[in-house]
Amino acid sequence: MATFLARRLVWLPVVLFFVSILTFFLGLYGPGNPINIMVGLKANPETIERIKAEYGFDQPVYQQYFNYVFKAVQGDFGYGLVKYRDQPVGRIIAERLPVTIQLNIAALVVGVIVGIPLGLLAGLTRNSWFDYSVRFLSLIAVSIPLLFLLPFLTFIFSRRHDLVLNAANLQFAIGPFLPMVGGHWDGILSTKVLLPILIESLGIVAVLTRQMRAGIIETLGQDYVRTARAKGLRERMVLLRHAMRNALIPIATILTLSIGGLVEGSFLVENWFGIPGVGQLALDAFTAREYYIIMGITLIIAVAYVVANMAADLLYPILDPRIRSSK
Amino acid sequence: MSKEGSNRGLIILVVVLVVALVGAICVGAGLLLVFLGQPSVGPVAQATAVPGRTGVAPTRAPSTGGSGTTNQNALHLPGTGDPPTLDPALTSDAESAVYVVELFSGLVTLDQNLKVTADLAEKWSVSDDRKVYTFSIRKDAKFHDGRPVTAQDFKYSIERAANPATTSPTADTYLGDIVGVKEKLSRKASAVSGVTVVDDYTLQITIDAPKTYFLAKLTFPTAFVVDKNNVERGGRTWTDKPNGTGPFKLKEYVRGQRIILARNDNYHLEPKPKIEEIEFILGGGSFMTMYENGDLDAAYVGQTDIERVTDPASPLNKELTVYPELSTFFVVFNVRKPPFDDLKVRQAFAMAIDRQKIVDVVYRKIPILAESILPPGMPGYSDPQNKIKYDPAQAKKLLADSKYAGKLPEITWFTVGGGGASAENIQAMTAMLKENLGINISIQQTDWATFLGQLHDPANIQYQMFDTGWIADYADPQNFLEILFKTGSNENWGGYSNKQVDQLLEQAGLEKDSATRFKLYSQAEQQILADVPVLPMVFSRTYVLTKSYVKGAIYPPLIIPRLKYMSLSK
Repeated sequence: MATFLARRLVWLPVVLFFVSILTFFLGLYGPGNPINIMVGLKANPETIERIKAEYGFDQPVYQQYFNYVFKAVQGDFGYGLVKYRDQPVGRIIAERLPVTIQLNIAALVVGVIVGIPLGLLAGLTRNSWFDYSVRFLSLIAVSIPLLFLLPFLTFIFSRRHDLVLNAANLQFAIGPFLPMVGGHWDGILSTKVLLPILIESLGIVAVLTRQMRAGIIETLGQDYVRTARAKGLRERMVLLRHAMRNALIPIATILTLSIGGLVEGSFLVENWFGIPGVGQLALDAFTAREYYIIMGITLIIAVAYVVANMAADLLYPILDPRIRSSK
Repeated sequence: MSKEGSNRGLIILVVVLVVALVGAICVGAGLLLVFLGQPSVGPVAQATAVPGRTGVAPTRAPSTGGSGTTNQNALHLPGTGDPPTLDPALTSDAESAVYVVELFSGLVTLDQNLKVTADLAEKWSVSDDRKVYTFSIRKDAKFHDGRPVTAQDFKYSIERAANPATTSPTADTYLGDIVGVKEKLSRKASAVSGVTVVDDYTLQITIDAPKTYFLAKLTFPTAFVVDKNNVERGGRTWTDKPNGTGPFKLKEYVRGQRIILARNDNYHLEPKPKIEEIEFILGGGSFMTMYENGDLDAAYVGQTDIERVTDPASPLNKELTVYPELSTFFVVFNVRKPPFDDLKVRQAFAMAIDRQKIVDVVYRKIPILAESILPPGMPGYSDPQNKIKYDPAQAKKLLADSKYAGKLPEITWFTVGGGGASAENIQAMTAMLKENLGINISIQQTDWATFLGQLHDPANIQYQMFDTGWIADYADPQNFLEILFKTGSNENWGGYSNKQVDQLLEQAGLEKDSATRFKLYSQAEQQILADVPVLPMVFSRTYVLTKSYVKGAIYPPLIIPRLKYMSLSK
């Protein structure tokens, strides 16, 4: 186990290196510059050139990258340039991260609580009307992009249908009991975040339902289940001890990998509802060319991915003794 | 099959799974946060993190509607999101300036009527050649921590703003007239030679040429005084605990949520600030709803609610005030690019657009039609004699007389945006040009950073035509006419050049008598309007609701310290 972990951890810097190099170069070679936005409409070219030089943006890109890495390994991840001038990037992100983590965990929990029982029931009542409707709805939920789902579901929950739905009008549309518009974070238990959490969990619910259903159907047809039934075990024990356990193994992978989907979801959901999380910060940072914030967020996502994958690998032996013994 | 039993076991498994996963995420994120909780530059900075924020864990617990202040006599105002900075030397935007002018102050300030008046300087004299200003600093002026303000503090502050390492985006513009600032900015000098400390309470500033608008520039935050100890001990995040000289102190700032200002009881000017605490809500749902629920004492009215509040039958109508802004929105024709190098084409475009109709229909009469470049309320504003008329027949004739008759090149209108459809006003204007002149104009949306990148290289702007606006920095016609239209000015984006206009602007800049000055500016403006380098569209207006118990609320068109005029009579 220890060697396995160590091997995994060795990969972390490699992943971070490639992610950082890609993000850094893409950002710096793209059009526009944070200094343009920092100085705004009213500034003369000398001011811009001077500030660029002061921040080192006049140096070759590889040089800038090395400077960044050199400072980063010492714990200096840079400072905000435009909207968060001179704020350490760590602090800017740390202020937003708890919101996103809470939101994603809530979405994950909803996804598991709804998705797994739904899939289980559908699998056990195979080809019933219940099974058909669950399959139909989950197929729809899996296929519809979030970008469509957001305005659509908001419209469904709206109290005013005469407005063009956009971020500016959202607050008038969804009324006092659901909106999370305008950036005020009242905590995860607030009713205001209900709709955002539901929307974000929809994809997980659908994927888990489908996987759980397929898993339970597959394992129930296995020889060991037949054996278990044959030796007279109660159906409950058969399901719990034998079928469920094996059906859950792929779920662990899906859950951990869905963290990626959640991050993507946070970008859209947070921006649509004005939730002050990392997703909103990221979009702000992209439009303002806040290089260091973009770098910081990208690195965090990369680390989250690696850690999540590691978690999945650690879960396998717990769920499946065969993996444990083969090690 | 006993589903109930299997479900119970299932739940246990699911819980184990979720806990493990969540734990993994939390540990990962937590580790990262520890790594990212980087040390700040100064020794104080670590401790001065914004109250309620530790940087690592979300210790804040905003339970109710985010009402941060417990003061019963507090005023609650709407904010416009997080200010990008609270450092006077870095302030170049309105969001930051509204707080900076309350926390800090300078030698001079603007009063309610936008006239330059004494602030930390109690009086000043100007030399005969009008290049040397001698300021007497008030002896009763103190920083928030009680330390008296001296001439040395001003010298430090100006040199700090002019230090290239400070990366002030405004030092060139607002301090550039002072002898030695340009040298300091380009690292050719270590001190600013034009700023001399005569004694503790006397400061002398020498500028490079007699400039009437120089004092007005000193009202801008770039020239404000900061406390050396505060800045140097605080490191890059020193504004977490700003030690200013303004009418209010920063009591609390929770990013994304609220800024609370507390009255400065040692404030040196009249009127003294009256309200104990003022809370700005930085985010938090609909300001209109909050206003109507009594959670806010004032609110800006958005487009969606304009009709409701302007209806005389509405009770809200009695609390509504409409204020002009000192800003003009216009369409720029790049006179270096065909076909706009031909005056007749520009005139034809101007006359083919029914601007009044656009104001009435698209803008729903929220702003007013701009017939001039200077907005009403600006000193030197006069109603222009020759207004651009909507006249499609004449427009068609002008186009036919132009050198591009029948061989008009392709025209692209650049605009800032990124949605599926471009702004309604531009769609309406291009539709009118199509209908009246038969010209097809393509609209190209560009993002703000790219747009600014073009405008910041004024000699090489590739855009043929684009729309933008100009908001006054100080109440002087120079701020619009010279900056936007003088040959070679950085903000003369369309490349407009007229010798006669340049001459008038130069003359006006040197003129001492304000009536004569305004006359010269007015002449220049008439000539500019006749040359149509830009087509003025609208002057903006602010719609604000203020509760009747809030007295002395003013919404001046420029950012000035205004909270000290306000009081509550609940």
